[in-house]
Amino acid sequence: MPPTPSTSKEKSKTKSAAAVTDTVTAARTRIDHFNTLQRQVLAKNPSKGRPHHARIAALSAPHVDSFNSIFVHGPIASASGLLDAAIADLGSRSVFAVNTNDQSASLKNTPKIKFWFSSITVAKPQIEVGRGLGNSLYPSECRERGISYKGKMQAKLCWSVNNGPVQSDPRSLGHLPIMVRSSKCNIQDASPRELVKRHEDSSEFGGYFIVNGIERLIRLLIVPRRNHAIALLRPSFMKRGPTYSHFGVSIRCVRGDMSSQSMTLHYLTDGALQLRFSYKKSEYMVPVLLILRALQETSDRDLFMRITQGRTGNTFLTDRVELLLRGFQGLAVHSRQECRGYIGSKFHVMLDSPEDSTDLEVGEEFLKRIVLVHLEKDQEKFDMLIFMIQKLYSLVAGECAVDNPDSPQHQEVLLGGHLFANYMKEKLGDILDGICTQIKTDVRRFPATVDFQSKIYLSKVFSKVNCDIGKKMEYFLATGNLVSNTGLDLQQVSGYTIVAEKLNFYRYLSHFGSIHRGSFFAELKTTTVRKLLPEAWGFLCPVHTPDGSPCGLLNHLSHTCRIVTAQLDVSGIPALVASLGVGQMRGLGPKALASEVQNGDAPTKVDSDDEDDETDAVELDPRESKKLLQNNVVSVQLDGKCIGYATAATAKRVADTLRYWKVSGEHGVPLDLEIGYVPPSKGGQYPGLFMFSTAARMMRPVTYLPNNKTDMVGSFEQVYMDIACVKEDVVAGITTHIELHPTSMLSVVANLTPFSDFNQSPRNMYQCQMGKQAMGTPAHNFPHRTDNKLYRLQTGQSPIVRPNLYNEYGMDEYPNGMNAVVAVIAYTGYDMEDASILSKSAHERGYGYGTVYKSEFIDLAEKQKRSGGTTTKPTLHFGLFGENNVSYMSEEMKAKLEAFLDDDGLPRIGTLLNDGDPFYAVFDDVTQSVSVTKFKSFESAYVDEVRLIGNDDGSSELQKVHIKLRIPRPPVIGDKFSSRHGQKGVISQKWPTIDMPFSESGITPDVIINPHAFPSRMTIGMFVESLAGKSGALHGHSQDATPFQFNEDHAAADFFGDELTAAGFNFHGNEPMYSGITGQEFKADIYIGVVYYQRLRHMVSDKYQVRTTGPIHNLTHQPIKGRKRFGGIRLGEMERDSLLAHGVSFILQDRLMNCSDYSQTHVCRLCGSIVSPIAIASKLGSGLDSGSSDRLSESRDAIECLMCETSKGIDVIAIPYVFRYLCAELVAMNVKIKLDIA
Amino acid sequence: MNLGDAKGPQVTIRSIDHERKQLSFILWNCDLAVANALRRIMMAEVPTMAIDLVDIEQNSSVLVDEMLSHRLGLIPLTSTNIRDITYTRDCNCAEYCQNCSVVLTLNVRCDSDTNRDVTARDLISTNPNVTPYFSSEEDAGVVICKLRKGQEVRMRCIAKKGTSKEHAKWSPVAAVAFEYDPHNKLRHTTYWVETDALKEWPVGPNGAEEVAPGPDDPFDYKAKPEKFYFVVEGTGVMDPRDIVEKALMLVHAKVVFVVQDLQKLKW
Repeated sequence: MPPTPSTSKEKSKTKSAAAVTDTVTAARTRIDHFNTLQRQVLAKNPSKGRPHHARIAALSAPHVDSFNSIFVHGPIASASGLLDAAIADLGSRSVFAVNTNDQSASLKNTPKIKFWFSSITVAKPQIEVGRGLGNSLYPSECRERGISYKGKMQAKLCWSVNNGPVQSDPRSLGHLPIMVRSSKCNIQDASPRELVKRHEDSSEFGGYFIVNGIERLIRLLIVPRRNHAIALLRPSFMKRGPTYSHFGVSIRCVRGDMSSQSMTLHYLTDGALQLRFSYKKSEYMVPVLLILRALQETSDRDLFMRITQGRTGNTFLTDRVELLLRGFQGLAVHSRQECRGYIGSKFHVMLDSPEDSTDLEVGEEFLKRIVLVHLEKDQEKFDMLIFMIQKLYSLVAGECAVDNPDSPQHQEVLLGGHLFANYMKEKLGDILDGICTQIKTDVRRFPATVDFQSKIYLSKVFSKVNCDIGKKMEYFLATGNLVSNTGLDLQQVSGYTIVAEKLNFYRYLSHFGSIHRGSFFAELKTTTVRKLLPEAWGFLCPVHTPDGSPCGLLNHLSHTCRIVTAQLDVSGIPALVASLGVGQMRGLGPKALASEVQNGDAPTKVDSDDEDDETDAVELDPRESKKLLQNNVVSVQLDGKCIGYATAATAKRVADTLRYWKVSGEHGVPLDLEIGYVPPSKGGQYPGLFMFSTAARMMRPVTYLPNNKTDMVGSFEQVYMDIACVKEDVVAGITTHIELHPTSMLSVVANLTPFSDFNQSPRNMYQCQMGKQAMGTPAHNFPHRTDNKLYRLQTGQSPIVRPNLYNEYGMDEYPNGMNAVVAVIAYTGYDMEDASILSKSAHERGYGYGTVYKSEFIDLAEKQKRSGGTTTKPTLHFGLFGENNVSYMSEEMKAKLEAFLDDDGLPRIGTLLNDGDPFYAVFDDVTQSVSVTKFKSFESAYVDEVRLIGNDDGSSELQKVHIKLRIPRPPVIGDKFSSRHGQKGVISQKWPTIDMPFSESGITPDVIINPHAFPSRMTIGMFVESLAGKSGALHGHSQDATPFQFNEDHAAADFFGDELTAAGFNFHGNEPMYSGITGQEFKADIYIGVVYYQRLRHMVSDKYQVRTTGPIHNLTHQPIKGRKRFGGIRLGEMERDSLLAHGVSFILQDRLMNCSDYSQTHVCRLCGSIVSPIAIASKLGSGLDSGSSDRLSESRDAIECLMCETSKGIDVIAIPYVFRYLCAELVAMNVKIKLDIA
Repeated sequence: MNLGDAKGPQVTIRSIDHERKQLSFILWNCDLAVANALRRIMMAEVPTMAIDLVDIEQNSSVLVDEMLSHRLGLIPLTSTNIRDITYTRDCNCAEYCQNCSVVLTLNVRCDSDTNRDVTARDLISTNPNVTPYFSSEEDAGVVICKLRKGQEVRMRCIAKKGTSKEHAKWSPVAAVAFEYDPHNKLRHTTYWVETDALKEWPVGPNGAEEVAPGPDDPFDYKAKPEKFYFVVEGTGVMDPRDIVEKALMLVHAKVVFVVQDLQKLKW
């Protein structure tokens, strides 16, 4: 028996106190250990079963699960997936054997062919040997060879001629990119041990594609919540037409195959309602009454009753409905048939329906394919449209508030797999269309050849159509560009995929939780979309968003947030709801329902009386709210389908009961069902009971107090729920839920900031950015990675101070920094302005030692193609010799090359390469010579790996190699370091240990930072970390730094202070220190402790720029820009201004002319032009004879002014070269520059 | 102890802890500058031996050449008889020779199915006086790298004499504790306190050596630090006594050089 609401409430009352367990404050007594040995055992012997860290493995779940749903999607593990639903929805295409444009042709007896896809199979990636398939292809091989990870895709193309027997032909659709660790991947269920065997990290979690050796993933995108009508107020709506108002109700309907069709109901000031939708990127408007009547045979009276719901007292509403009904009279279509026929006649062309279909059929097709596509039955669509109309009128009347489309309440996630499936669907449709077009072309141009009975003809047609969907999907993944003629109901055409950079592990894993608002919003000038809304609590991390242009648009999921990907079984819900007292509209009839409302027109009165009041929801006194509850009849919806109506009071009871069942798992109510009860209010959100079971919703776990079990809460329902954060927040009788832990709202990366609750919030945001820029441990499978650039910290350490989640995510496998002894002191002045001092000895012992790996692929086949090689036979070969080992070089040259290269023309492993050294040698058959490519780089590098890459079966000659270079990067002055609290700085000086300050016990700090880094930034977390790190180092255990563990009564400083005191140190973490230079004790005692430091990837070696002379720009003769091209640094306008202000004109001339584009030119004193002096060829000789050494003066006599026709006034002046260019440009515009030469 | 009676700087040895390689002593009746000079010289100028050059013949371990060389450099080598070896810069040889260097070979190959730890024990020295330091017979030695089946390291390591001024690997000490005035009678520092300095600031181990001032004792503004508490903790390459002794000799030598230079001056 379902508990009555009162009992469930009582339960929550009685249990609330006991339910809140010791989650928050009790954990502090625990002592953490580093578990080094345990980790070593796991590293040596990876598990044969489950992943080592379950949470890491779950990071890619939204990506992998959504991809899997392409192939299998449903409550039971059935064979049908999104793709099957898609091809079913695509339906068939028909073509006739005659030219249908020809009006005279009769379609009755002409042959007609109909074709469709019946099934699609995708194989796991395999190596192609010869013509057959060989062994499985593994992701690591794709990465190493720079190829794509894809599996063969085949479709069964079926056709029937004149509705005769069905024939079919398997067609290859190319190779489909496969997501790593998805159900089509060869390492889907691999245990950590198998993963290591397959050259992956033991914690590899997949979720990305490999395209040309590069790992890319489809970014999660925020889209409007599906199948839910939201009230909008947009000034831009008024631009749609003359009488359009800014009111609208919009709904994004999603079919079973995850393809969507949005539509908006517009309110026109003349009382009409127009339904707007876009189809293939064009917009269409249809009067909503036309659709309503086409959906169901109704009378005006019926419509009136349905829309007004018996609230005849509400004159605002009745007036509008009257206007609406009257306005429709003009169309002169009445019956359902007439309406359908009318719609069909208008949309025949748009829908591209078969030529022989009647208007009625097209009308039906229109209703099926365009109108509220998430619903199947006409009756359901009718009910939903009525609901939308009611909501719109309510909005116009000011009875309900506008819904915020930027709020996560009205949002869901566009999952990679769903987008992938949609895009495939469109491309499959394109194939069918392509076949149609091809046959039509044939019919028009070569009617004689068209024979539908001939398999030869058909296979010729099929072969002419590009069926390589695999290639298109690969292009989509490689570029992120959506090449589409429908637009897929999305707002952007590019930026769908990103590279999963392995800069360090933090960066890598945060890609999988990143969720973007859409590039459309990035260009928006208003910042409202970027706001952090309270509705996002627990779903999107408030801390982990970049600052700058993508701020607030690029968010990250909280670490507990899950995205539903499974299809839930909710078939029993309507019956369950009915049993709880929700009435059926049809069963009761409008009148009956009206009588169920006790007070006829009372509810509307309550609302409309206050029309002039502010539209915001106001708190009602209990009596009034009780009246509201009993008098309001609200819609009960499941996934955008009206399943009944009930009074608000009943709806609330139903919601409460369902929730209890859902959490306790009774009556088959799935846990992931969202039960959003919106209570009636004055001017608040439109009320109703909205349930959602579909995929792509954000859900998060919280504890349900009545039975102390975990409930999953969605972003829609959360807004109307009472969830306590900590047990102190529980209000008896009101609170129903409590957070698992206060850190639930933070993303993984934000959770890894120790003591983040002590910091000023922007600092935590900065740390989220910097943690992702740190040099760390990107992966363990270095020898099998070919990334363009990899950063590696060779001396990474496990942090002493780490939050709880650090262990749960197993971050120790990927160290991201080093523990450093940090003193906060102003010492020698080199720590000014965020610079920090590094101990030279610490540096010499390996502190912060990093390595950069750079990769280069050399493909001779591509080179040959580029240089215009025609033969398929390779003409370029790696090596120092030609055929028969004939050398084409001098002995001297050979000896020089052999110091670097082997006979195969490739560098030796371990060789140190400097700029200009030979990198590799290639023998060219055509020129019969060896060409040596030189190593070009600012810094020298070691050859780390040389990888020879062949084709699939290894039968081809070596044409492609991969060379990995290793660049040692010990920390140098100018390299950037940061703590985990957004405190970044560059190294300004490396002092020898003897000069560093030291404590009484002889400890010298590794890093010195300036105390001025703290007052304005307020990163108290760093102080606490220092304290905790110090005591952890002294006692030999790690410290738990989970935020929200301490409070006023139980302060962190006291806790760690006591630990320090126990170790014989000062309670506050201070120590008297001595100057290393004089040995004198400092006037003040110094705060010194152990802080985990990250080395950031920004290094001077990549940035320094210096030049004396160098390349200049062709046109202006000024130095070019760009470090790579050895350019200069611009001395710009502001720099010029400051030099002017200083009055240093000689410096100014030196910078802007002498060091830039100094040039000398001839000028004619008489006319003042520098463009008219020209050399006269006949006189040139005489000038040369004069024997003068100055080139300009020697030819002065040979120069003549074109205007003055004399060389009398010719002289030489020094000008910036651009000035000459300017004069020449001005001449082209008929402007003359005249110089007065004194 | 009456300090006023002594003529010059005096040293009182407090304890020697061989296991922890620590020597604790008090330097008194001495100026702060001299005491600090001794500290700095112990840390940075006492020469020791450390691997400086590595000729790598074969390295198929997972550690790259430069990392392996760096690790080899940091291995402490016994340097008690450091005086027998000259600095390479003072030697007549071109690159290195027996007089200025010691060659150690590392030649390990793993052929077993279990991983093989390459440790300092595998370093074979050509000079019995310069070998990797082990704290005891049971000491397995510093792990240099780990080899898997089939991997091999084969290299010649050339150890040279040097000082920590150049690189920390030549430092004979791990740390030098240095303190004066444990009760802050000179008021060189100001203790940061919330309520009470006596409660919040623990008295260090040297506190017992001096008499704590009473609350009403007058401040002697003329007083200077003259008693310095040292604890020298060696890395094992030489006895801490050696370190102090050699450092003192170096202080002495520095003074002698100045005297010699002064004598060379012609008036």
